[in-house]
Amino acid sequence: MTKIRMTLNGAPVVREVEDRTSLADFLREECGLTATHLGCEHGACGACSVDVDGLLTRACLKFAVQCDGRTVTTLEGLNQDRVTEALRDAFHRAHALQCGFCTPGMLVTARDLLLRNPQPSEAEIRDALAGNICRCTGYAGIVHAIALAADELIRHPRSL
Amino acid sequence: MKPSPFTYRRATSVADAIVLLAVAPDETAAIAGGQSLGPLLNLRMTTAGTLIDLAAISELRESRDLGDAVFIGAGVTHAEIEDGKVPDPSHGFMRRAAAKIAYRAIRCHGTIGGSVAMADPAADWPCILLALNATARIAGPQGERRLAMDDLLVAAYETNLAAGEIILGFEIPKLDDTARAASSKINRKTGAFADSLAVAVRQGARSRVTLGAASIRARILPQTSAALAQGESLEALRPLVASDVAALLAAPDPYLQNLHATNVMRTLAEVLGA
Amino acid sequence: MLEAGPELDAFRQSPYPALANGKVRYVGQAIAACVAPTRAQAEDLAEQVGVDCSELPAVVDAVQAMAPDSARLFDTWPDNAFIIRTIGAGDQEAMKQAPVRLRRQFRMNRQATVSLETRGCVAYWDQRLDELLVYLSTQGGHVMRLGLAQALGLPENQIRVIAPDVGGGFGGKNRLLPEEIAVCAIALKRNHPVRWIEDRREHLLASVHCRDHHYDLTISAERDGTIIGIEGDVHIDAGAYALWPTGSFMEASMAAGNLPGPYRVRGLNVNTWTVATNKAPMGPYRGVARPGACFAIERLVDELALHLGMEPYDLRKLNLVSRAEMPYTTVSGMKLDTGDYHDALDTAARMIDRPAIRKQQRERRPGELRIGVGFAIYTEQSGHGVVEWSKRKSRVVPGYEAANVRMLPDGSVNVHVGTQNHGQGHETSFAQIAAHELGIDPALVKIRYGDTATTPFGFGTFASRSIVFAGGAVATTSRKLAQKIKAIGAHLLQADPSSVEIRDGHVVAGSASVPFRDIARAANIRQELLPVGMEPTLEASGTYEPGDSAGVFSYGTHAVVVSVDEDSGVVKILDYAVAEDCGTMINPMIVDGQVQGGIAQGIGTGLFEEIPFNADGQPLATTFADYIMPCATEVPTVRIAHSVTPALVTEYGVKGVGEGGAIAPPAALANAVADAFRDCKASFNETPLTPRRVWEAAQRARREAGALT
Ligand SMILES: Cc1cc2nc3c(=O)[nH]c(=O)nc-3n(C[C@H](O)[C@H](O)[C@H](O)COP(=O)(O)OP(=O)(O)OC[C@H]3O[C@@H](n4cnc5c(N)ncnc54)[C@H](O)[C@@H]3O)c2cc1C
Ligand code: FES
Ligand code: FES
Repeated sequence: MTKIRMTLNGAPVVREVEDRTSLADFLREECGLTATHLGCEHGACGACSVDVDGLLTRACLKFAVQCDGRTVTTLEGLNQDRVTEALRDAFHRAHALQCGFCTPGMLVTARDLLLRNPQPSEAEIRDALAGNICRCTGYAGIVHAIALAADELIRHPRSL
Repeated sequence: MKPSPFTYRRATSVADAIVLLAVAPDETAAIAGGQSLGPLLNLRMTTAGTLIDLAAISELRESRDLGDAVFIGAGVTHAEIEDGKVPDPSHGFMRRAAAKIAYRAIRCHGTIGGSVAMADPAADWPCILLALNATARIAGPQGERRLAMDDLLVAAYETNLAAGEIILGFEIPKLDDTARAASSKINRKTGAFADSLAVAVRQGARSRVTLGAASIRARILPQTSAALAQGESLEALRPLVASDVAALLAAPDPYLQNLHATNVMRTLAEVLGA
Repeated sequence: MLEAGPELDAFRQSPYPALANGKVRYVGQAIAACVAPTRAQAEDLAEQVGVDCSELPAVVDAVQAMAPDSARLFDTWPDNAFIIRTIGAGDQEAMKQAPVRLRRQFRMNRQATVSLETRGCVAYWDQRLDELLVYLSTQGGHVMRLGLAQALGLPENQIRVIAPDVGGGFGGKNRLLPEEIAVCAIALKRNHPVRWIEDRREHLLASVHCRDHHYDLTISAERDGTIIGIEGDVHIDAGAYALWPTGSFMEASMAAGNLPGPYRVRGLNVNTWTVATNKAPMGPYRGVARPGACFAIERLVDELALHLGMEPYDLRKLNLVSRAEMPYTTVSGMKLDTGDYHDALDTAARMIDRPAIRKQQRERRPGELRIGVGFAIYTEQSGHGVVEWSKRKSRVVPGYEAANVRMLPDGSVNVHVGTQNHGQGHETSFAQIAAHELGIDPALVKIRYGDTATTPFGFGTFASRSIVFAGGAVATTSRKLAQKIKAIGAHLLQADPSSVEIRDGHVVAGSASVPFRDIARAANIRQELLPVGMEPTLEASGTYEPGDSAGVFSYGTHAVVVSVDEDSGVVKILDYAVAEDCGTMINPMIVDGQVQGGIAQGIGTGLFEEIPFNADGQPLATTFADYIMPCATEVPTVRIAHSVTPALVTEYGVKGVGEGGAIAPPAALANAVADAFRDCKASFNETPLTPRRVWEAAQRARREAGALT
C-alpha cells in the first residue's frame, strides 16, 4: 500500500492504494467516480478515458500510484467545462448515444480533440475517435455531434 | 484482468533508476508510458516484483540538436514528436509517422524508448529508427554504451539490453536537404499494429529500406537498400524487394510475400517521386 | 441442472453445470470460482488453482464433427448433433430438372457479441426481506429470475432481479450463463454481497458466441434467371452446450427458413445439423441466423447473375415478391405481410447511383483501386408471438408484453413495462406513445423497467419485439386509462361522458374544461369528488399481443460501394445507402440510430470480427488486439431512406427495427467485393472478408481464369 495525493476533479485527495490498482479502479472503487467505464482494460476501447495533467489518458493503463502528485479530471469533473457542456448538448441533439456505455470516454476524447483542434474536419473527428469503440450507434451520431459542438463553440465563444 | 501484486518505485534520476533496477534485476521492470507494459501486466502475460517508474526522470525527457544529429530522450512521447515539441532530424517524417501510431491517448504516454525496448516486431519506432540509422545510448551499472539500432534489436520482444540497463535516448543523424523519407503501414484498422510496415529513406549512399511485422524484428532490406543507394529505378528495385522479403519470411506465404513487397514498393515509389 | 433448448425429444440434452464437473468441453469453461475481497486478489487465488485434466481429442469443425469417426462431446449421444432436421417444401421435382443449377459453399465465421459493457452480476441475501437480491446486466430480468429460481431451488418470490442501466446486449445478455448461477449460489452461502464483472478476455473466451454457419447450397433456376429452388446442407456450429432457455436450436431452422429471402422461390430442400463442438456455447446475436441466411441467398443471387451474364439488379427485379402479391407466403411458410420490395431496391439503387459506379469501373486504369457495388435485401420478422414461438417449441413463449400505467395525484405518469431498454430508447418512444394516448406532454411520463419487484412480468428486449409488444401494451393500457380520465372529467364538468374529449392535458366539454391535475387529485386523494361507485386511483394494467402472432416483416435494401486494393486485399467502404420500411415510425431518430448501429455490427461481421480456433480448440482472438472492432474510421455514415407501409395487425402499424441493420451488410459487402472482381469471376464466400481472404480468392479466380484460356 502506498499513500498518494492528487488533485481529483479540482479537489485534493489523499488515499492509500495497493500499488497494482489501476487509476480506473481507483476512481471507480475507491472514489466512487463511476463515469470512467471499463470496456477492455487493455487500452483498446477508450471507455476509460480521463485527463491527467492535460493529457488524454486511458485510466486502465495507468496505475493510481503513477498519478501521485498529478491532476486528474474525469467526466464528473467537467460539469462546468464549456467544451464538455457544448458536447453534451450536441450528443443529446444528435442521438449520439444509445446504451451510453462509451459516452463518457467519447466526451473526454472529443473534448481533447476540440481543445487541440477547434475546427476539425469529419476525417479528423473520425481519426480522433479511432481508438474509441461504440457498439451501439455506428458512430454517425457521435461524429455529427462533435461537429455540431465545434460549430457551437466557434459561433458562441464565451466572452472572457 | 488485474495485475499480480508488485511494488512501485519512482526513480528520480538515471543513476537512481540504475541502482533501483540493480537490486533484483530479474524481478524488476522499468515502466515508462506503460502503454505496452500496462496491458501485459493486466493480462498477467508478464509479472514484475517491482516496477521502477522512469517517467519522472528529467534526463530522459530531454532532446537536443547535436549539429549533424539530433538526440531524442527515451522518455519523449509519441505525441510530443507528433506535435513537433522536439527537434526533428527528418524534415517532418518522424512527426507524420508518430501520428500514425496507435491512438492519441496512447501517444500522449507511450514513449519512443519504451517502444524500442519493447521490441514488438510490428511496432513503428524500431523500424523507423533502424531506417534512420539511429544509435541508442544506453546506461547501466557498468556505465554508458552506444549501440546501433541494428545491434540493439534481437527478436520478438527481445533486445540486447542487459538486465538493469536502460535506454537514455537515440542519436538520429539528420537527413540531407535532398533526402526523402516515407513509410507505409498496412493494418486492419486505424491505430492497430501494422500487418506490414515499410520505411524507405533515400539519401545517396546512406539510403536504407526497412521492413517491420514481416519477421521476428524490424529488418534492413539489404539488396533493396544497396540498389536504392546506387540510384536504381523503381522497376529495377522490384525483384530485389521480392527477394529481400522472401528471405525474411519464416515460411513461404504468397499472400504475405505480396503484401510486404507491395508495401515496400509503395514507399519506394514515394521516395523516388515516381 | 437446467434443461435447455426447445422442448423436443429430438433435441439432445447437454447438461451445463455452473462449474465443470467430469469433463471440460471448451477453453474458457468455468472450472472453479475464487472469492476474495477484490477481483485482483481473486485472480491471485485463481493462479494457485491447479486442475488435473487429461486431454481428449478436440472437435472444432461442425462439418467434420458429423463424420462417423469424429470424437464425441457427449458419450450418451450417437453423434455430435444436438438435432438434425430437414426442411423441405414446394416443388422438389422442378429443382432436380432445372436447366441451371449452381452450387456454392458459404461460411460465416464465429464471433462474439461484444456489448461494450461486459456481463456482470452482484448478488446478496437480504436478511430483512429474506430474499436474494441480484443485480444483473441482462436483457430480461423476469425470465432470468425464472431460470435462477429453477437452478437455485428457490421460489420466484424470493428472488428480485434488478437490471438498472445495461450497457448493450445484442442477444448476448439474453441467456442465463453459468457464472451468474455460480455467483448467486455463492451468495446464498455468504453473508456479504458477491460480485463478478466479466472482463473482456472472459467475454471473448466464454460469453455467448454467435454466427458460425456453414452452407453448401445449390440454387436452381430457369435460363432467364427465374429462381426455382434452393437445396443443400446447413451446419450450425453451436458450441459445447445449449444455453438456457432456448439454446441455439433456432439458428438452424431460421437459417433454412430464411433462405428463400424476399424472392419467389418454388422449392426448398435443406438438411440442417446443429452441431456440438469444443467451443463456447452459441447464443443469439442481433439478426439471429438471418445474417448467415441473407449472406447465402444474396451471394447465390449474385453468383447466379454472374453465371447467366445478367446484372444482379435485374435478376433481383425478376424474382422479388411484388406489392400485388402481398401477403405472400414463402415456400418455408413465412407470411410476408406488407410492403413494396421493388421500391426498396429501386430506391437504394438510385441512392447509390449504379450507372455512375459502372462508369467508374469502365474508366478505371490499371493500378488504380478496384471499385464494386453490392446489394442485399433483407426481411426482418418482428412481433411474432404465440403461434411462432410455440411452433418452435420454445421453453418460454414470449407471446405478449404487459404494461402498468399510473397517473399520480399531481398528474405525472409512471409507466412500468417488462421489456428492458439497453440502448433502444424505450424511455423516449414509450413515453411518446403514452403521452399520445393520454393527450399530455411526453415530459410528464416516466418509463420504468428493469426491476422484477416493480414491473409487470415481461420477456425482455430481443428479437425486434419491444416496440410491437411493449409499445402496444403501453398504447392499449394508456387508452384504457384515458377512458377513466374522461369519465371522471365528464363528471367534474357535469357533462355527458360521451360528449367530452381529451385535449392537451384537459378533459374538454364544449367551452368548459378540467385539467388532468384536478382529475388525478380527485381519483387519488379526493374520492368524494368521483362519480358514485367508481373505483379510486388512476391506474391501468394490461397485456398486449398483436392480432396475428405470425409476425410482421420489416424489410429493406442495402447498397454499398467499396474499393478493393488488389495488392493487399484491403476493402474500404466508400458509400453506404439503405432504403428501408419498418412500418410506422414512432421516433424516426431512434429508427435511424438502430439502422446505423446495426450496420456497424454487420460491417464487423462482414469485414473484421472473428474468433478463429486452432486444431486443438484454442481460441485465437481473446483480446481486442486480435479481435478487430470497427471504429469511426471504419464505419461510414449511412444514408437512409424510409418508406412507411403500416403493418395491419399492430398498434399504429409499427414493425420492429432492432435487427435489420445487422442482417444485410455481410451480404452486401461480399457482393460489392465480388462485383469489383467481376472480370475474373472471383467469389467471396467467407466472412469476415479479411485482406488475406480477399486476396487469396482473387488469386484463385485468376489462376482458374488463366487455366481456362
Ligand atoms: C491499443 C494500443 C495500440 C497500439 N498501437 C501501436 C502501434 O500501432 N504501433 C506502435 O509502435 N505501438 C503501438 N502501441 C504501443 C505503444 O506505442 C507503446 O507506447 C510503446 O510500445 C511502449 O512505450 P511505453 O513508454 O508505453 O513503454 P512501457 O509500456 O512503459 O514499457 C515497455 C517496455 O519497455 C521497457 N522500457 C520502457 N522504457 C525503457 C527505457 N528507457 N529503457 C529500457 N527499457 C525501457 C519496459 O521495461 C517494458 O519492458 C499500442 C499500444 C496500445 C495499448
Ligand atoms: S478500458 Fe481502458 S481502453 Fe478499454
Ligand atoms: S452507446 Fe452503447 S457503446 Fe456507445
